[in-house]
Amino acid sequence: MSNVVEINNLMKSYENGHIKALNGIDLTIWEGEFVSIIGPSGSGKSTLLNMLGALDLPDSGSINVAGYDLTSNKKLNEFRAKKIGFVFQLHNLIPNLSVVENIEIPMFTSNLSNSEMRSKALSLLEQVGLKDKASQKPSKLSGGERQRVAIARALANDPSIILADEPTGSLDSKTSNKILKLLIDLHKSNNVTLIIVTHDMDVARLADRIIEVLDGQLVNTSDDSLLENKIDVE
Amino acid sequence: MSFLKFIIKNPFRRKNSAILSIVGICIGIIVIVALGGITNGLVSTFEDTIHAGGADFSISGKETGDSAYGTNTIDANWTDKIANVSGVEEAYPIYVILTSVGDDYMNTLIGIDPNGTQLADISMTEGRLFKDNASEVILGKIYADDNNLSVGDSLKIDGEDFDIVGIYETGDSNMAGAVFTSIKKVAEINDDEDSISNIYVKVNKGEDAQTVADRIDSMYGDNITTISSVMEMEQMGSMLNMLRASSWGISLLAIVVGGLGIINTMLMSVFERTREIGVLKAVGWSNRKILTMIVGESLVITIVSAIIGSVIGVVLCLVLAPMMGLSPVFTPDIFVQAFIIAIIVGIIGGLYPASKAVKLPPTEALRYE
Repeated sequence: MSNVVEINNLMKSYENGHIKALNGIDLTIWEGEFVSIIGPSGSGKSTLLNMLGALDLPDSGSINVAGYDLTSNKKLNEFRAKKIGFVFQLHNLIPNLSVVENIEIPMFTSNLSNSEMRSKALSLLEQVGLKDKASQKPSKLSGGERQRVAIARALANDPSIILADEPTGSLDSKTSNKILKLLIDLHKSNNVTLIIVTHDMDVARLADRIIEVLDGQLVNTSDDSLLENKIDVE
Repeated sequence: MSFLKFIIKNPFRRKNSAILSIVGICIGIIVIVALGGITNGLVSTFEDTIHAGGADFSISGKETGDSAYGTNTIDANWTDKIANVSGVEEAYPIYVILTSVGDDYMNTLIGIDPNGTQLADISMTEGRLFKDNASEVILGKIYADDNNLSVGDSLKIDGEDFDIVGIYETGDSNMAGAVFTSIKKVAEINDDEDSISNIYVKVNKGEDAQTVADRIDSMYGDNITTISSVMEMEQMGSMLNMLRASSWGISLLAIVVGGLGIINTMLMSVFERTREIGVLKAVGWSNRKILTMIVGESLVITIVSAIIGSVIGVVLCLVLAPMMGLSPVFTPDIFVQAFIIAIIVGIIGGLYPASKAVKLPPTEALRYE
């Protein structure tokens, strides 16, 4: 199995170095792995996720994701378009577009024709069980349904990695389970690496591996005690 | 969905704001189109007036002042003197008198040599010209319409019956309600064959009309005066230039006001969609694509404004201008001007908000509440 993420001594600070968000991170993530990143607020877990998704650049160290060097500003758009699918805590769907049109938005960076985009978006909606809602506006959907649309959008360009930042943070527990099950199913069926940032241990325990971030450093990355209660989502 | 459709849909998310922007720019476009139509209408009327008659200028007696068609007379032999001035190609006298015409106790009767009518500001719309020294007349269209007269009818002038042989149109208000016949007939009616009213002068090809007029003024300025259509053209030209300048001034104002309005609308739009722009960056949209989107949305607003404004401008002009006695003329360049301005406003109005959007760091945009 090859690694899809290779991070060495990654540093990132804010406010002229007064806040060290990442303080020497070393991390390897394997292709097809499901990893959860946990840590208290301000620990640096979201900064780490932003680095993985090339939304932010590190101060020093190296970070290579899916064959792209993310320490320089080159080809970052291409990387995000082709390799990464983001799922956010809030669905962030565009309100005036229909569900299917929302899924097509990332495909504007591809060379697909309009009809190819439409059929791909519909097949993704089918995967998340919302094909019958394709022409509806997001406002007509429930919170869980919106998040499923957001997941379908994340898969639009066949990414290597799904980065999910508290994907169930704004949902009730029953809907959360459904969303997590969907993410895990898609991760397995599409062989996509899944990286979830969460502060919910129940969510974290679903992963193959838990990475804990504290004060910008990884702790107990291979600590089996965190995973010994690994559960399966219902 | 195509990228273009996405851009077209976006501005109408905030309908009220989009409509306000459209109204603002529309007003500018309406004024540009209406003013353009009126200016063109004036230019075309003016050009008809100047170019219908082939005369470059006319000559009248000193005491007639600025009136080109005064009934004061000069001696008939001035025609030969003027014809001999260097640079003059043709000189034809006209003889204007007030006499009883038809039911009118007094109306303008203009006498001219049939060959000289080409120098007068008239164009035949019906029938033919009168023959020399015949009891024939041609009528101005306004006179003919007012008196229900047409070709073939007869008209009593100073007690004598004249056959109506033609109808003419003119851009000159002095001639529109008048009656033309041969100059010999007018002299006979007025019982004065040694006088004329004015002389129409045409200069040689390549000769400057003003130079020739100045030459005549310097030779005979004590007795006669030249009324140059070149001078009229200059006066009219400066008026038209003023209209054109005000049209461009309003365009400039439209650019500034419309531009500020659209900047405001688009800035609000970018501000409200900060998180969405973050998502677009997260899904791999390049800065150029985001810039194209925002400027494109701005252009959608201004182009819609240009279309609506042009239609309203034309309709308003066609309805209101005739009430003010104006006949607007719409040429493609008016609409080209309107659309160029709309596009400039769209680009200027979109660029600043777009640059704001592009500069947003994606992490901050995504955190935006």
